[in-house]
Amino acid sequence: MHAQDKVVDPNEVVLWSDDYEGHDVISTRTFGFWMYVLSDGMLFATLFAAYGVLSYSHSYYTGPTPAQFVAPWYTFIQTMALFLSVLAYGFAMTALKSGSKAGVVNGIIASILLGGVFLGLNIHDVLRMISIGVTPETSGGLSAFYALTQVHAAHIFIGLIWMLVMLYQIMRQGFTEDTVGRLISLRMFWQFQAVMWVFIYIFVYLWGYMS
Amino acid sequence: MATNRNYITGFVVSSLLMLAATILVDGHILPSFGLLLAIIGCAGIAIIAQVYFLLHIDISEHNIWNTVALVMFIPLFIITIGLTWWMFSQLYMRTMPMIPGMPGMH
Repeated sequence: MHAQDKVVDPNEVVLWSDDYEGHDVISTRTFGFWMYVLSDGMLFATLFAAYGVLSYSHSYYTGPTPAQFVAPWYTFIQTMALFLSVLAYGFAMTALKSGSKAGVVNGIIASILLGGVFLGLNIHDVLRMISIGVTPETSGGLSAFYALTQVHAAHIFIGLIWMLVMLYQIMRQGFTEDTVGRLISLRMFWQFQAVMWVFIYIFVYLWGYMS
Repeated sequence: MATNRNYITGFVVSSLLMLAATILVDGHILPSFGLLLAIIGCAGIAIIAQVYFLLHIDISEHNIWNTVALVMFIPLFIITIGLTWWMFSQLYMRTMPMIPGMPGMH
């Protein structure tokens, strides 16, 4: 008989207990952070909604449309850099399971470098677009395009800073409950940015390029 | 669940789908509507692969509440984006005047 099949006894149930019964700190934090990650998804949903209503051809007025300034293969290389960064972070997390400090540190360093490549390519792409007159203030469509893609880039930037902080904490504290919990939260955050990037790459870059 | 093999599987599957989508769009291989359906399919499968292989969203006892939370969030995403898009498309259809020199509605 599993614990969840038992009838709830009000005198024994943990929720109404007078005493602190204790719980698994890491999985509780992980669930809490997953709630945050999903709320972050709602932030992206509002930006996708804004892009959806501002990506009609009249939204660009007579200015440039994504079909004229998106470079699919350039953005595909960005996609690969981000996916590889997420993969490297995954390797760091499996190294964590075997308690290998070197494995975790190497994985996170690789993840930072590849994430840096993604961000560098993004900045280069923005500068290229601005140099050919594709600026956020040109039209509503471009404002929505920049808002969505650069909010994602800002998430990547924050994630890279978080990784640097985690490297420092692993060096200083080792694998304590706090650092392991944070590494797991960062894993969810980082992987979620790759999920959001799939939506952005397909529905903003590629769809914009073909229409 | 969190093994190197799973992470590699998630990476390979989603990368190949992004590659396929890029080739299809760059080469204009399919007619416009078919192309759109094809890249939506690529995105959908890539996202399921990433959520399953990377984020470990499954029905194991350890992860079930993360999965429940995601499942309950999905309608919120769809309603937020879908209703907003629907409202504005109706607005444009009824109110958008034709201004000379301006590209038409699509």
